[in-house]
Amino acid sequence: MAISSATKAATDALAVNRAPVSVGAQEVHRWLQSFTWDFDKNRTKYSTKYKMANDTKEQFKLIAKEYARMESVKDERQFGSLQDVLTRVDAANRVHPKWNESMKVISNFLEVGEYNAIAATGMLWDSATAPEQKNGYLGQVLDEIRHTNQCGYINYYFAKQGQDAAGHNDARRTRAIGPLWKGMKRVFSDGFISGDAVECSINLQLVGEACFTNPLIVAVTEWASANGDEMTPTVFLSIETDELRHMANGYQTVVSIANDEAASKYLNTDLNNAFWTQQKYFTPVLGMMFEYGSHFKVEPWVKTWNRWVYEDWGGIWIGRLGKYGVESPASLRDAKKDAYWAHHDLFLIAYALWPTGFFRLTLPTAEEAEWYEANYPGWYDMYGVVYEEWRARGCEDPNSGFLPIQWFIENNHPVYIDRVSQVPFCPSYSKGASTLRVLELNGKKHSFSDQWGERMWLSEPERYECQNIFEQYEGRELSEVIAEGHGVRSDGKTLIAQPHTSKDGKLWTLDDIKKIGCVFADPLKAL
Amino acid sequence: MSIVVSGGRRGLTDPEIAKVILDAIPDKPLETQRKMNYFMTPRGKRINEYETLCCYTQPTPDWIPGGLDWGDWTQKFHGGRPSWSNESTEMHSSDWHRHRDPAFRWHALYVKDKAEEWRYTDRFLKAYSADGHVRSIDPVWRDEVLGDYLGAFGFSEYGLFNSHSSATRDCLGDTLRMSIAMIGLDKVDNAQMIQAERTFLAKLVPGFDESTDVPKNEWTKGSIYKGARETVEEIWQGTYDWNEILFAGHMIYDPLFGQFVRREFFLRLSSYYGDNLTPFFINQMQLYHSQTKGITKDMFHTCLAVDENFGDYNVSLMNMWSDKWLPRTVNAMKDFMGIFSKIPTIAGVSDKAAIEAALERVFDDWQRDYADPIGYKVDTAAMIKTVLSGLK
Repeated sequence: MAISSATKAATDALAVNRAPVSVGAQEVHRWLQSFTWDFDKNRTKYSTKYKMANDTKEQFKLIAKEYARMESVKDERQFGSLQDVLTRVDAANRVHPKWNESMKVISNFLEVGEYNAIAATGMLWDSATAPEQKNGYLGQVLDEIRHTNQCGYINYYFAKQGQDAAGHNDARRTRAIGPLWKGMKRVFSDGFISGDAVECSINLQLVGEACFTNPLIVAVTEWASANGDEMTPTVFLSIETDELRHMANGYQTVVSIANDEAASKYLNTDLNNAFWTQQKYFTPVLGMMFEYGSHFKVEPWVKTWNRWVYEDWGGIWIGRLGKYGVESPASLRDAKKDAYWAHHDLFLIAYALWPTGFFRLTLPTAEEAEWYEANYPGWYDMYGVVYEEWRARGCEDPNSGFLPIQWFIENNHPVYIDRVSQVPFCPSYSKGASTLRVLELNGKKHSFSDQWGERMWLSEPERYECQNIFEQYEGRELSEVIAEGHGVRSDGKTLIAQPHTSKDGKLWTLDDIKKIGCVFADPLKAL
Repeated sequence: MSIVVSGGRRGLTDPEIAKVILDAIPDKPLETQRKMNYFMTPRGKRINEYETLCCYTQPTPDWIPGGLDWGDWTQKFHGGRPSWSNESTEMHSSDWHRHRDPAFRWHALYVKDKAEEWRYTDRFLKAYSADGHVRSIDPVWRDEVLGDYLGAFGFSEYGLFNSHSSATRDCLGDTLRMSIAMIGLDKVDNAQMIQAERTFLAKLVPGFDESTDVPKNEWTKGSIYKGARETVEEIWQGTYDWNEILFAGHMIYDPLFGQFVRREFFLRLSSYYGDNLTPFFINQMQLYHSQTKGITKDMFHTCLAVDENFGDYNVSLMNMWSDKWLPRTVNAMKDFMGIFSKIPTIAGVSDKAAIEAALERVFDDWQRDYADPIGYKVDTAAMIKTVLSGLK
């Protein structure tokens, strides 16, 4: 066999230097942009009014194997902590009961967001034309699988080792009963995957991840730790290390469309809609979970919100995108008002509907009431007095025959569901900015609580047709609905949801609920 | 004590806080059922960790079979198309949550395997280079076959990788979605490994061209991969049904074309041309192929073909899809035969008889593993004859 000049050169080189040589991830990645080719049908299956540039780069230049190495190292640390030291110190049984309940919701609902983000980033991987941009989204697809599994692991861990497994062990089945579920699906599920691909990216990456993962995934670890929970910080901070890459993906989405004419026409409207969509649910729900779902308080939610959402995101992050024509959302000012009172309004309703949950809720103690009043002056006169009345009427005691939702009915304070956000609100008993707006289309009434959602519905009502729980369950008795939704513990009769976390308190059963005879009614029918 | 905690005090380690917490905890657990997802039907005797962490994460309503939620989607596409819908595929299932990765790999297990492969790749390449193995590779094989045609095959893998994007978006089950994303990542990994090998060779062999220009030209304009390129383009962007994408790619094209190119051409022939570098990479691809085969056979054979309500219909559809994708794949293999005129023939290895034997192995495997389970009647001898007609 004749030896080529190249082989001879390689042989000569070896004679001089036999240093081991390998190939680094970056050496492979630098060719990635040339992996694609043009052909007639090469277009996305998901329409977008924007045009993503063909030469968009990604910031985290990973190849498949290097991605796996990086994640595997993080997994070793995380699961090592959980399975070793935290188990040996019985950490799951050293979490305050109120926080144990909050994690039933936080971890499971975040799991839904992470899960839907798999599909969302699959859509973006399809929509992008530049291989590097596709690669960035691909990395996120895999991350979101990781996060889905991680969130599941929290519930799995608490179920296996903690003080109250119910709700942790079946959240994926029982979560659909209550009033918080549909709103969560809007922000964490459909908002990420159903729409213009770039609009979905804005929802997921530019708002959901760049704005709300900081309070959701970082701030929550401080609250968890204060309340004895070291499992959540172990897992969530590991999740957050990936979120940086996702925020970079969102940034690159904007970069990729920056020179497209459509961006100057639509981008700020899409951003405003996405921000309002996300904040409408997260602002009240996160504030509620932190403040009402904990015993030990870290700081008022309004301060956390102001730091992460208003200053860090609305100011700095969006400011960085200013050179691409991005402006802070017009709805940010209204959201700031929500950050003060909306979570208090929501907890009042959530507690009133406690039997539909898959977690236990707790009325504020006297000490907590003082904290609320000190941080939210006016809290007591609006909410404190109501909780005192509910407690006096025996709302925690199954023998009382009193469910707080009765108070709303007795006092003519109907609870509506906002058609677009699916968040419940009570316009006649609320300190937040909610106002009732009712519109009718094809003989069906729709309620709205703010101008931003109403505008979205007015321009595209066919996107928001989902029934709410009052429509779905209208005319049905409450215990029947709970039983159908599997809202009971393994004895087949005791509710998973309870209106207290007292270790001495009696637990409510289906029979206790049935005796009350509470029947769902659609408040829109009364209008 | 005060309920306000500042300065990073931790409830687990701060004695004062810990006491309050422990006093509030019930004396005994409130619930005895500690098994997460206890309500589900496991594939084996017990619910395993993979099933616990993955199953029922998909929040579909019950009108998509297997869903536990109710009602409509809270936000739809512009115009009112639903987030996920039964119409996204012609296949029918009584439960879209049935699929299992036979290896029960959730994310942590999946990346652990791949991370080990990466570390071992790094060690292998260092040893290979220090040992001077590169001197033994036949220059034609190295410069033309590895440089150009292996490089061009990377585009086939990259195109198949991209065919998983819409399937990852549109599929109707959680274990499906995770499996699809993972087998998609394996495909881009293959494309990247091919480029890694070419980059590695460029470091060792002065003048070896690691650029993708020539391979891309071969892929887009050459005759050897013409049929393959057209088939991959159709799977990637011409097909909307997510099940058909997976079926075409993983039940027809890759087990035939992909297996012949990887196993019977590059892997089998490389050692005859003094190349023991390529088998290292191709063997990793073959591992991924084997794992993917387990996954897609579970999707189509274990779940859809024997579905209690739709099994017969699904099998008919799979037969129709086989009719559609098989001729294109055979044509792609026929075009690929042109590569044998580019290499020095080795008797018993790359002559016509050896090629025919290799084709028989590939078609026999495919018939046994993919066609027979759905009762697909196929004349493999005729197909092999068609493929061989492509020999120059």
